[in-house]
Amino acid sequence: MTGKIKNWLEIRIGLDELVRTQLTEYRVPRGINIFYTLGIVALAAFISQVVTGFFLLIYYIPDTEHAFGSVQDIMSKVPFGWLFRLMHAVGSNLMVAVVIFHMLSVFFMGSYKKPREMTWISGAFMLLMTLAFCLSGYLLPWSQLSYWATTIVTSIPTAFPYAGEFVTRMMRGGETVSGITLNRFFALHVTLLPLLLILFIGIHLFLVRRIGISAPPFGKAAEKKKTWIAFAHEDHPDGHAFYPYFVQKEMYVLMAYFALMFFIISFLPTLFFPEDANTPADQFKTPAHIKPEWYFLAAYQMLKLIPNKLLGVSIQMALMVVFVLWPFFDTKEEENILQRPPLLAVFLLSLITWVGLTIWGKYS
Amino acid sequence: MVFIWAPLLSLAQEGGATRSTACLDCHDSDMMEPAFRDIPAHWRKSWHFQNSISCHDCHGGDPTDAAMAMSPERGFAGKPQYSEVPEFCGKCHIGILKNYLESRHGKALKASRSGPHCVTCHGSHRIQKADINIIDEKRCSQCHTYERAKMMKQALFATEKKIKDVRDSLRELRAAGVFIEEEEKTIFNTEAEFRTLFHSVDVSLIKDRSDGFVKKLEQIEAREKGVFRELEFRKNFSAFLTLVFLGLGAVIFLLSKPPE
Repeated sequence: MTGKIKNWLEIRIGLDELVRTQLTEYRVPRGINIFYTLGIVALAAFISQVVTGFFLLIYYIPDTEHAFGSVQDIMSKVPFGWLFRLMHAVGSNLMVAVVIFHMLSVFFMGSYKKPREMTWISGAFMLLMTLAFCLSGYLLPWSQLSYWATTIVTSIPTAFPYAGEFVTRMMRGGETVSGITLNRFFALHVTLLPLLLILFIGIHLFLVRRIGISAPPFGKAAEKKKTWIAFAHEDHPDGHAFYPYFVQKEMYVLMAYFALMFFIISFLPTLFFPEDANTPADQFKTPAHIKPEWYFLAAYQMLKLIPNKLLGVSIQMALMVVFVLWPFFDTKEEENILQRPPLLAVFLLSLITWVGLTIWGKYS
Repeated sequence: MVFIWAPLLSLAQEGGATRSTACLDCHDSDMMEPAFRDIPAHWRKSWHFQNSISCHDCHGGDPTDAAMAMSPERGFAGKPQYSEVPEFCGKCHIGILKNYLESRHGKALKASRSGPHCVTCHGSHRIQKADINIIDEKRCSQCHTYERAKMMKQALFATEKKIKDVRDSLRELRAAGVFIEEEEKTIFNTEAEFRTLFHSVDVSLIKDRSDGFVKKLEQIEAREKGVFRELEFRKNFSAFLTLVFLGLGAVIFLLSKPPE
């Protein structure tokens, strides 16, 4: 039976050649390490969010009167609704962590350099879209945390004169966060952002495959680096077969990712749910302590340290521009960061600062 | 969109507490006579304060306008007469007022203008959440022997303990991330009804009605137990999935082919 199906596909799409060129004879560089699997883990995390999000969409009601109640019904009445909701909530945090680790490893390996600038830029935009997913999704449960977090986020543009108020009103659909805001964020979260992200994933994967996987800049693989003056797919004829070597590596890292997700759901189910996340939104009662999620804590703490709001927001926007366009700031050919102490120092200092601000933000 | 949290510093306020009022501005001032200056400090330690009930909610007046804060035109009632304290508190605590006026305490107050009233047991500004320990020998033997009050306390004891146990479980469920607003409303109403009944100071009535309260509390307890069992199932199921994925990962790792 399997043979018949394979033969049917072979006649129509050349299955054997496809498997040979894309899997068994496609070579990945020697010395490829576990960090190279983070891309597929990020993709799997996104697919998990889409699947669990679809099931939530069946029962969720995007209306201020019913949103909170519908989420509570998912948690308590829908069979295994709690599992999909927790997978979605925990998964969103894990996805951000995986994407951040992926970008850190790409940066460390120098894989953003020529000819991979577009791959970096598309990845940077995908990180920003992931954060936009988190922000838009945050409002949907319509809890105290959702409402007040969104009130604060949407007030940020007011730091800028003239256009700021207009942008804030556009985001909210009015003067304050309301049902109109909920509908806008819902539309953003379930249609525009997924479509945009899928488009960028397509661009990113196309670029990775078209240009080829970059070899680690350390060890023997680095000796064969060449100067890019014309397009050429980066081959690794002495490398390892993508299938089964790299695929099996990807598989057990994926299993570890899901094991971690279910571990958190089992033993730390309230890790990402402070009490305000479980209280219906009340526009007349501001919670005493609002803190952002962990991935925004560094920015939050940084803003607390800079006295002028416009200056603080402008600095962070400038940092974001540098982050997205980094390949054009660092144009040196050397990919091995260990051979470039100043860049290594900047990398480590930035990382330590980010971690330090995050911890400070958590406990301040 | 990552730079979002500075404005919260201006938006955030103390949870549950009210903003400063004209009443507090005067009573907190060094110019106020000492007896009245202590009132805000007492109030800030009270159950009323934790539930955002401020001066004007009881005494009337306009808390936003110092000139009209004590104006009868704005409903300022001042300090009630001794015999009118129950009606003063009963503006909000309606059921309790009814039970109290029908009780021996209420009849004694109306007859002699010197019986016990709300402030005798609960205080005036440093009011605490009612519990069974308000009934004590020192407080209750001012007019009669402690025996009757002791019998009252014993009649209340079992129900009081059950209320505490149910509240502790609800606290645990809330910490576990379960939304319990319905159960909290039910326990609040049951507790309020129970406390209202006490003010009749009728031991036989309390004994008769206690079964009803205990049944309601047991219903809440049964629901709580169901939720705890469900949480336990969820934990075990997720732990099982964790092991499944760990196992799959281990199997893939062990069966994986080495590179050429």
